[in-house]
Amino acid sequence: MGNPAINQTGTAGLTATEHRLDNGLRLVLSEDHLTPVAAVCLWYDVGSRHEIAGRTGLAHLFEHLMFQGSAQVKGNGHFELVQGAGGSLNGTTSFERTNYFETMPAHQLELALWLEADRMGTLLTALDDESLENQRDVVKNERRQRYDNVPYGTAFERLIALAYPDGHPYHHTPIGSMTDLDAATLADARAFFRANYAPNNAVLAIVGDIDPQQTLAWADKYFGSIPAHSGKMPLRNAELPDIIGTQLREIVREDVPARALTAAYRLPQDGTRECDAADLAVTVLGNGMSSRLYNRLVRHDRTAISADFGLMRLAGAPSLGWLDVKASGGTEVPEIESAIDEELDRFRADGPSPEELERAQAQLEREWLDQFSTVAGRADELCRYTVLFGDPQLAFTAVSRILDITAAEVTAVAAARLRPDNRAVLVYEPTSSAEPAAADQNGASQNGASQNGAGQ
Amino acid sequence: MTDADVTMDLHPMPAAGQARNWAFPSPERGGLPTGLPVLRCHRPGQQLVAVEICLDAPLDAEPDGLDGIATIMVRALSQGARQHSAEAFAAELERCGATLQASADFLGARVSLEVPASRLRRALGLLTEALAEPSFAPTEIERLVRNRLDAIPIELANPGQRAAIQLARELFPGSARMSRPRQGTAETVSRIDAAAVRAFYEAQLRPVTASAVVVGDLTGVDVDGVLAGTLGSWATAAGAPALVPPVTARDDGRIVIVDRPGAVQTQVLIGRLGPDRHDPIWPALVLGTYCLGGTLTSRLDRVLREEKGYTYGVRAATQVLHSPAPDSGIGAALLAIAGSVDTAATRPALDDLRTVLRTLAADGLTDAERDLAVQNLVLVAPLRYETSEPVADTLADQVQQHLPDDFQAQLYACLAETSTAEATAAVVTAFPEDRMVTILVGDAAQIKTPVEDLGIGPVSVVAA
Repeated sequence: MGNPAINQTGTAGLTATEHRLDNGLRLVLSEDHLTPVAAVCLWYDVGSRHEIAGRTGLAHLFEHLMFQGSAQVKGNGHFELVQGAGGSLNGTTSFERTNYFETMPAHQLELALWLEADRMGTLLTALDDESLENQRDVVKNERRQRYDNVPYGTAFERLIALAYPDGHPYHHTPIGSMTDLDAATLADARAFFRANYAPNNAVLAIVGDIDPQQTLAWADKYFGSIPAHSGKMPLRNAELPDIIGTQLREIVREDVPARALTAAYRLPQDGTRECDAADLAVTVLGNGMSSRLYNRLVRHDRTAISADFGLMRLAGAPSLGWLDVKASGGTEVPEIESAIDEELDRFRADGPSPEELERAQAQLEREWLDQFSTVAGRADELCRYTVLFGDPQLAFTAVSRILDITAAEVTAVAAARLRPDNRAVLVYEPTSSAEPAAADQNGASQNGASQNGAGQ
Repeated sequence: MTDADVTMDLHPMPAAGQARNWAFPSPERGGLPTGLPVLRCHRPGQQLVAVEICLDAPLDAEPDGLDGIATIMVRALSQGARQHSAEAFAAELERCGATLQASADFLGARVSLEVPASRLRRALGLLTEALAEPSFAPTEIERLVRNRLDAIPIELANPGQRAAIQLARELFPGSARMSRPRQGTAETVSRIDAAAVRAFYEAQLRPVTASAVVVGDLTGVDVDGVLAGTLGSWATAAGAPALVPPVTARDDGRIVIVDRPGAVQTQVLIGRLGPDRHDPIWPALVLGTYCLGGTLTSRLDRVLREEKGYTYGVRAATQVLHSPAPDSGIGAALLAIAGSVDTAATRPALDDLRTVLRTLAADGLTDAERDLAVQNLVLVAPLRYETSEPVADTLADQVQQHLPDDFQAQLYACLAETSTAEATAAVVTAFPEDRMVTILVGDAAQIKTPVEDLGIGPVSVVAA
């Protein structure tokens, strides 16, 4: 066990209760009366992994359509009503799920439930060509803004396509391709809704200053009459060998300001001790300002401006360890690469020092505390553990599981997985004549897509 | 079944319940014997404590020719101090599960710490070491300088950042620090060395002109004891606050295209200078700016995004640049409209944007718009300030802008009392269509001709 910052490792005595409506909608409630706010979070068990060839980006485009009105909510009414009530809201789409959330002043909780129920039950009565055409253009501009018009913007998409083979459900990212976005039809959107937007394919978490009995009664009142249905396509097989087996490599020659090296390692699936151990391994190696790769590349060798290693946890396919290094000055990629391999060799052999493990555990604990510090963050985690692992209570023990991992387990996962034959490598070589320089941005955060990225 | 059939029971929209009272947290103001003012705020349940240190090192205080030294100096604070090498310092901080960030701006510099409450003492000890006894080892300063030189081309390649740099260059006279990039240019940064950093540190950093803000669940934390044993040991000779010269801006209507051949979008940034938070118009300006471009149901996005699909989102916003004490000068804020539109839509998007401004000036805001904005801005406060960090950040902003500690609390009261007419007047005055500078970062070959006959003013093209 590590050295926890607080008793009960971050949960501060929080609990959650589980319920199920007759139509199959699962509910998770968690009380916290410190601040008069309540978070509503609704996860639909559908993400980009459910999309088929030729229709990439449909889950995310559909998420936009969910904000275009339903039987009793006109046009942008969902946004106006929530914001007018003093709430904040958004939706996001990832590989494994689509989530919608409203965080409200506690006395406006009922409104959020009414709004979510209205679109879960009646979206198709309002969905039309006009909103599809409009949101198709908005999403294409989202794609341009976040990926196509910024340096290294497509790195994540390219690396994912390398790391998960052609035909694999995780081979493409949620934003989808321009061609597929253009090809999506109203019939596609309707079929997608009928297949996936059902109470029995969703989890609703409500967290904050709530009265559980009253909240349950409202949930039943608004959601209870929505019929269960099932037209969901079975998920395509996402199994892959533990090890890629060879080093995959792509060189991108583009007008970027600096050379860059990014790599994706195939790591254990979320929900396993090995995944928690892998999280600690990549944290020791490349999270923060005292990590091995930061110390080696940025402080000592001075060959890089940044060196980040992070874990994208996935429950339905191998997780992804994402390494991102931007070169300093005229440094060539092979020099950086051999230094990384030296560090990885050493780490596979010796594992973390006790101090390194303590630091990594403290950092991951802080990240969890941060996520748990808001009712919205807690609601999202409760949905995550319910949808992906069938048990919301696992959210409260996530930190203790990380603190329970030993150095030997970290070493073992590193030895098994952090190998050159288990990575896909993407190298950026600038095409412009200017002397290359380097970056401090980390493309690793671009693993999803959202409704209103411009924020408030 | 057809799609038009409703197969669930529909209920009327529910009414709101009884609101619970909430007020912006009121900090307790005190100070240490060294002259360091301290604001503290207990936030039950918030296990992560946020600490903000406001430092009187505004960019206007940077020596001539050394633009960027304030940023390098505050970043260097954590790159080694008396008892720890740079590497050991980072390791100790991360052992606390803490994060430390440092930045410098026109209002001053900031060091921001976040740490679990149980490790506050340890982390504040490290922060104190950084403030009081930084090493500024030449090798670390060289590394930060080189790191910064590497970062500049990256920033210039980012359309949003490139637009901001160009707007500052266009608005302000070349002699004003504000006309130049906050973190300096390659030319100025490459001149920065350890001796200059130490000189700037010694000239600017002292507890008597700084402030500390501590926010979080302080149950069981001996705050006085912790502060006395940590920040209390940071002592220097007395000194006067930095002087910040007033600034003027040239906002006659014109377009400057920063040429990025082949760009699939045009980054749009339209700006001018307006008042700071001391101005009594501020609440009306906040309200009016929200109605213009605060969210996707505001006037700009209602047309540009939700009707036309030209953009993922366009926002109108204010950013305070100068905020001297009310009797010592004139404050200033940047008023800006920003977003990106697909290249082919550049001309029609600008046309529509101007129509939105013209319609607003002619017809004003509606009462319904004003009410919706007030409700959102006021009622969202408990949510916005749920955790420690935003509370600490707002309190630190107030300190750096020479505002009273209850400014934010009063602002909510003022917003509720601001009329539709006042909000209209404020936003129309703030965003006059013919007195704003328009920066377009995009493909000049495709967008120059279309935007020339918009009547916005002269169009020039500069290289990216």
